[in-house]
Amino acid sequence: MSEAAVAVTGLTKTFPIPFQRRSIVAVRDLNLRVDAGQVYGLLGPNGSGKSTTLKVILGLVPPTRGKAEIFGRDSSSVVSREAVGFLPESPYFYKYLTAAETLRFYGKLCGVHGARLSARVDELLQLVGLTEARDRRLRGFSKGMLQRIGLAQALVHDPQLVILDEPTAGVDPAGAREIRNLIVALKNRGKTVLLSSHLLGQVQEVCDRVGILANGVLVREGAMTELLGLQNQTEMIFENATPQVLAEIAAVAARAGVRLVDQRTPQSTLEQLFLEATERTGDRFE
Amino acid sequence: MSERASHSFSFGRVTTLASNTLTELTRLKVFYVLLLFALVLIGSSAVIARLSFQQEFQVLKDISLGAMSIFTSLLAIVATARMLPQDLEDRTIYTILAKPVHRSEYLLGRLGGVLLLLAISTLVMSLLFCVVLYTREHSALSEAARQMSAQPADQQQETFQAIRAASFNPDLVPGIAVIYIKAALLASLTLFISTFATTNIFTIAVTVSVYFIGHLQGTAREFWLQEHGGSWLSRAFLATVALIFPDLQLFNLADDVVAGATIPLAVFLKTAVFGGFYTLLYLLLAIAIFSGKEL
Repeated sequence: MSEAAVAVTGLTKTFPIPFQRRSIVAVRDLNLRVDAGQVYGLLGPNGSGKSTTLKVILGLVPPTRGKAEIFGRDSSSVVSREAVGFLPESPYFYKYLTAAETLRFYGKLCGVHGARLSARVDELLQLVGLTEARDRRLRGFSKGMLQRIGLAQALVHDPQLVILDEPTAGVDPAGAREIRNLIVALKNRGKTVLLSSHLLGQVQEVCDRVGILANGVLVREGAMTELLGLQNQTEMIFENATPQVLAEIAAVAARAGVRLVDQRTPQSTLEQLFLEATERTGDRFE
Repeated sequence: MSERASHSFSFGRVTTLASNTLTELTRLKVFYVLLLFALVLIGSSAVIARLSFQQEFQVLKDISLGAMSIFTSLLAIVATARMLPQDLEDRTIYTILAKPVHRSEYLLGRLGGVLLLLAISTLVMSLLFCVVLYTREHSALSEAARQMSAQPADQQQETFQAIRAASFNPDLVPGIAVIYIKAALLASLTLFISTFATTNIFTIAVTVSVYFIGHLQGTAREFWLQEHGGSWLSRAFLATVALIFPDLQLFNLADDVVAGATIPLAVFLKTAVFGGFYTLLYLLLAIAIFSGKEL
């Protein structure tokens, strides 16, 4: 079994209601394991406990019971965060800083200095497509640009684990596609990605494994292929097949006692159509 | 990054946070308050031009040191009150504390930035004050020389000495230093209140209340002891109040300087240690509360 990048054991988190004896259970007895190198999707509707789970993993809130570990280190210890980069949901950074200054600030907090930091800032600005905007203050950034600078600050110290809370929330389809490509690139570089989202299509595209939370309880968990694959069915897509060819294939299947469940013309996605129609023709910055 | 670097307190991280706070406050143009100070000085110069030189210098010092005290106190409270609630509201704090940053480093860095800002502001206001003082002294000397041209030389020298003595006084330096220490204490107090307050308004309201209690408690204590005697219960109560709310009247050394009194070194050191103690106490309380806070 490979090393666990994140291990959550028996996690319960309750929040007391002020002036009442009752409390809200945000997460109940959660066990979760994310292996190193995986892209793991934590799914669930609003209020299901996704963000609370991520906050416990990051040591921002203490668990009521149970524990969370990052690469074997207790997540409440500051040292565990050396291996983590985090992008919160709808983040606002210091608006008075420029893009480059923002990355320098977070880099220094992570102990990256001097020429190494300068090179890292240039590299990350290029990675997220903000090189032209490096000296612009964040005050004038669009939602998508803020999300991209957020992603860059999460990666500034080249962490092994990247935690993304709703990374494509409020971003246009082109921006969302760039973020998904970036997640795939991180996976290809051996990084572990833990992301929370309620945009199921995007999660399905990039995640190896998913966990579904509902009312603070993990109701489903497993590899994407295990959860979604229909083991007794096969899909074949032909190009330029004439009606005669299709009829012959159906007859062969019938003779073998195989039932044809569905036959249809595949369609492109609305997202694909949108991306093709709005494809960028040049630099977005003037 | 080495493991040891994250385990232990890092002065580098505190410096990064402090310099970022200073950048923030500078770019938010809080230094405009200095412009206001300059206007007060120029305005007061016009009013006091008609007084005798002794009165002129006394009023000038009174107005300048009073304005310096008010502006640094206001700057300390307003600049500090917005920091923590704003970082929480914008979720910027998540991005900082998700890095290997101790919560104590975050608070110390934020307070350090405000203290730097206060130091720069106090220095600039002092320089402005000295320039105005020097200009007024120069014109008073010229005026005296012109009026006393027929007088004997020793009498002229005596007058010149009197003008110089009334103008710059070395006791102004500890007087201004105490103004800075008081502002530092107020910044630390504001930071402490902001760790449990939910809004900027609440933080500012509570800090200003403590400010007034701190200024009035000395007088109230004397009055209470006169009226109710010195029973152990009342003494214990007053001691508790005195411990929680610092006696800010102790920082009014500038009034004595304006009145012409000298500040003994022992008194200055006692006030500095008193201010330093409360600044540290409020910072430690802020760290204690913030360390257990659920974000």
